[in-house]
Amino acid sequence: MKKLKLQPKKLFDTGITYLIILAVSFVFLFPILWLTLASFSRSGSIYSFDGFFPTAFSFDSFNKLFNDTVMYNYPQWFLNTLFIATMSALLGTFLTILTAYCMSRFRFKSRKTLMKTTLVLGMFPSFMTMTAVYLLMTQFNLVNQHWGLILIYAAGAPMGYMTQKGFFDTIPNSIDEAARIDGASNAQVFVKITLPMAKPMIVYTLLSQFVWPWSDFILPSLLLKDKDLYTVAVGLMSLGETEFSRFAAGSIFIAVPIIVLYFLLSKFLVSGMSAGAVKQ
Amino acid sequence: MKKTIIAVSLHMAILIAIIAVLGSASGTVEQEGQAQFTGELERNVVIRILENDTAKEQGYLQELLDAFNAEYAEYGIVAVDANMDQYSDLENDGPYGYGPDVLYQANDRIMRYVAGRHIQPIPVEQLDCYSEISESAWEAYTTEVSGQEYIFGVPVNVQGPLLYYRKDLLPDNWEEDWDDDKNGVPDMVENWNDMYAFSLWRKSQGNETFGYMKSLFDPYFAVGYLYSYGAYSFGNNNTDPSDIGYSAGDSELGGWVIRQLASIMNEWCIDDTITVNAYNRLARGDYFATMTTPDVYTLFIDEMVAEGMTREEAVENLVVTSIPKLPASGDLSEGNPELIDSKMMGGVNGYAISSYTKAPNACLAFVNFATSYEMMKLRSEMLGVVPARNDTVLEVGGLALVINRSLEEGNIIVMPSIKENAQMWTPLQTFFTDVAQDAYRAENEVKYASLEAIKTALQNVDQQIYDAIFTLQE
Amino acid sequence: MKKIKTKPKKQTPVLVKILKEGNKNVFASALCMGAGQLMYRQWAKGLLFLLAQIGLVAFFVLYGAGAIAGFFTLGSVEANPWYGTEGDNSVMMLIMGIFAFIVLAVYLAIYWLNIKDAYKTQKRLESGRAIRPFKSELKGLLDSNFHMTALTLPILGVSVFCVIPIIFMMLIAFTNYGGNIIPPELVDWVGLSNFGRIVTLSQFAPTFFKILGWNFTWAIASTALNYFAGLGLALLYNKKCVKGKAFWRLFPILAYAVPGFITLLAFRFMFSYGGPINQMIVDGGGTAIGFLGIDAKWSSRIIGLFVNAWLTIPSSMLLATGILSNMNNDLYEAARIDGASPFKQFTKITLPFVVFATTPVLIGQFIANFNNFGIFYFLRGGLYMDGYFLASDTDLLINWLFNLSIDNNYYSIGATISIIIFIITSVISIAVYKSSASYKQEDTYK
Repeated sequence: MKKLKLQPKKLFDTGITYLIILAVSFVFLFPILWLTLASFSRSGSIYSFDGFFPTAFSFDSFNKLFNDTVMYNYPQWFLNTLFIATMSALLGTFLTILTAYCMSRFRFKSRKTLMKTTLVLGMFPSFMTMTAVYLLMTQFNLVNQHWGLILIYAAGAPMGYMTQKGFFDTIPNSIDEAARIDGASNAQVFVKITLPMAKPMIVYTLLSQFVWPWSDFILPSLLLKDKDLYTVAVGLMSLGETEFSRFAAGSIFIAVPIIVLYFLLSKFLVSGMSAGAVKQ
Repeated sequence: MKKTIIAVSLHMAILIAIIAVLGSASGTVEQEGQAQFTGELERNVVIRILENDTAKEQGYLQELLDAFNAEYAEYGIVAVDANMDQYSDLENDGPYGYGPDVLYQANDRIMRYVAGRHIQPIPVEQLDCYSEISESAWEAYTTEVSGQEYIFGVPVNVQGPLLYYRKDLLPDNWEEDWDDDKNGVPDMVENWNDMYAFSLWRKSQGNETFGYMKSLFDPYFAVGYLYSYGAYSFGNNNTDPSDIGYSAGDSELGGWVIRQLASIMNEWCIDDTITVNAYNRLARGDYFATMTTPDVYTLFIDEMVAEGMTREEAVENLVVTSIPKLPASGDLSEGNPELIDSKMMGGVNGYAISSYTKAPNACLAFVNFATSYEMMKLRSEMLGVVPARNDTVLEVGGLALVINRSLEEGNIIVMPSIKENAQMWTPLQTFFTDVAQDAYRAENEVKYASLEAIKTALQNVDQQIYDAIFTLQE
Repeated sequence: MKKIKTKPKKQTPVLVKILKEGNKNVFASALCMGAGQLMYRQWAKGLLFLLAQIGLVAFFVLYGAGAIAGFFTLGSVEANPWYGTEGDNSVMMLIMGIFAFIVLAVYLAIYWLNIKDAYKTQKRLESGRAIRPFKSELKGLLDSNFHMTALTLPILGVSVFCVIPIIFMMLIAFTNYGGNIIPPELVDWVGLSNFGRIVTLSQFAPTFFKILGWNFTWAIASTALNYFAGLGLALLYNKKCVKGKAFWRLFPILAYAVPGFITLLAFRFMFSYGGPINQMIVDGGGTAIGFLGIDAKWSSRIIGLFVNAWLTIPSSMLLATGILSNMNNDLYEAARIDGASPFKQFTKITLPFVVFATTPVLIGQFIANFNNFGIFYFLRGGLYMDGYFLASDTDLLINWLFNLSIDNNYYSIGATISIIIFIITSVISIAVYKSSASYKQEDTYK
């Protein structure tokens, strides 16, 4: 590589880039910052500020959120959500990646029909099917149980396999073929070669499968009856009209696991083929 | 070739035979009809009670359960908290075995369960509270099923809007200037015309100080202005959904009142801004008065304490009273108006017994216990609600008397108990938003300058509700 | 880049061949699953098929047969909880009927597999080869038939939790479920009368087309905005000169991490009359603006568009980042040597690649936006506008559907409308998808 001197043009380009990045960061940060500060405000309510930001701060909202659990057991909801989201992210990601891989790598008779069918099925408004899901779950005896929710999230996940298939379509076949010639079975190719290469996609899938149950409100409110089994989203929506401070604090804290997860996974997000192992 | 075809058809034939034979044989076994309330208490049962969040939060539910369980320990009957959402829908939960046995909800919700027979008729004359609860409260829970009249719920407390105001924000000379009838009560909390004038004065006093402030879009509070001038929800005493009467009588005057009220506030009355900031703003002294239900009293007090008052000062300064009277002409700027009573929408919350309970008699015993004089009194003390029992009302006095009198005089009109009630909210909310907005429209965009325009809009509301109920019905 | 082509040649269908040539073992399998296999002394496989036969027949005897019958009758005894009469729940019978039909389909599939298997063994023996050992067949499930093994679970899951409910909702359109007819009341099949009612309802068509027009505008605009902004952000963060990429990417992730309904409620407040934006306007001497008010058709729509972008761009950025990481950098190297400008590199290399990999996603996003229920429900719910039949001027078809079917309880009408919407959207997206590069030339980058 040639070593370039710092040219004015390049400097200008970098400057503009950072300017845009700062602007974008601001746009995304601002509403979140606003909510966060609201949850730390003394009055605990965004409704009583004079401008955008509160004038006095305290930890009361969070203190109440975690310690005053007789009526609203936020820590319990949080653990419930964590359990549901983790399990459905793991199962759902597994199923989705598997589906996408098969649809991308294998050619079989009903493949195109399957592809078109799933595309079309995704178009049906989902709330219309909620009654049906609920009735099914009562028959399977899975109402009021976390596993019922996990099952639905995980089972529904492969419906969105298209994204992942698109990704697998961009991985050259030659790599698989080399392994096949060495005597690996298709299952081995999948586990040993495809999966490691698909890290960015797996991370993306994990994240999105994790976020979905984390913020979903409709399904859990339908299926979970017992207040101790609530997820955070349902719990927050069940708060009384006057519990602003709890609501603000609870909705900010809900973001923490997702941010942590992002940091844990972010290095894989961009370490696909560019990581070098399998360059052609 | 033949052989395989024969085999396949044989296989199918057997399969179909099985399906046909067993398909026709399978049918549900009909059970003998049985009377549920035998009077004989079930023993060693657990009954699940759904109460509202406030009752739980203030500790009333626990006291109630403890007292009941102690009383019925010899039968082994244990009442527990159902621990479900206070608005949970019995129609979704009950048939599948997830519902509570006894539930406490508002009358419009409870009566929705009747059509599917999810709750049972209660033999109310067996209850101790029967004679103590007023006719109008029972009425909210009475309906006809296949030609016979039944009562499906037991009234516990009456909800209705009240006026909250800050006594310390009255002008110093109010006894001379704002008490024409010299009855010791400020005129602005007695009639809307003086409230209008006072609010205009306060608004002119400075930035963001107001007199009366209340979101106007919320039908629960706003529909009362229409009622006051002759409107009604549904015909035949709120039982006939095909007759919708928001444009009945001179209800356009009510619409006009709303438009005038909007002009003494600011744009906040158009959306839910005031609903959420009223506690704090009233506490800060920005608002002089607002309208809301009795159960949020402590929230105002808490906010006033947070703004620097002592609790005693707060209790002293916050006054709760009935809704002011309206001018018969609908003109709030009139000097010496003829006054009429304000009618407001209210509700009766009460207990119902699920049809899916295994222990109806224990449930009935619980309802009887929970509506006893002592428990009702405790409830109103702990939760600040207005009891439905007359003897308790007399004991509690004050607000309870005010609201109960309003109910009996017909100034609190109980929310319709028919399920079509659900279809009225959106059209009404749209209308109220539109009228409130009108006070802040540019001159050339004003929609409701005349009473005729308001009347037409109300007729449109009736039509929309009618459409929502009937167009799609066969 | 190599392409594999496995076009099947025209040949006599297997079914005909089996019927023509099947021997007595095939006959036995056709009569009872597993019998033929057992006659070939394939014990394990034979027993498995036999077990499937017994299990499935038992299912139909104990439950399935009744469920299928119930599907047609939708029940005859009305429940009466007052007297403890259990009665029939029509809706439940409908759904369990569908379930039984799916099990029946599974049954037929296994049955077919079983006959085919017996026939295959027959052919093997006829051509002089030995019977394939069970172990090797199991191995095949992980190798040449890996896709069948792998897809079983996802297809099963999707069938039960996605397909059954969707079929259920579609069938509801042909019943009178809704209004006053809700279990324990018995529901009946009514044929096409719901469609007839919608067509003849005079208020219906004008609202439908008005909303449809806005719905398309919305879906196209928001999809384009979200997609290109997401891609743009991904490229921006990927630039060589950006240091601390993971840190900068965190900001959009923040938006992703707070559940949508919470941010929507926050935005609603931000733009309300008492919200901070109006407060600033008033403090600055202006008059408050009803951004989402009853008269604010277009400002509400535009706010909706941007709020939706704010919510969706992070995930489309994440996706684009993942896909870009998989790009072959050699292409850029070559382009740079050829002296192509960065813009040209983008249009000639990056864009085709990303578009190729994400066309299905693009369609998915289009559909998600087309059916975006939350945005206007949370931002500006609870209004019915003049000129609209039970809808507001920002409502999308799905919001209208919600008003009609959930708010007002008309499930069968709601289902009918969703079938109509469904047909429109699926025709369009299938057409787009089939003409896209990622469908026609799936192997471009392989």
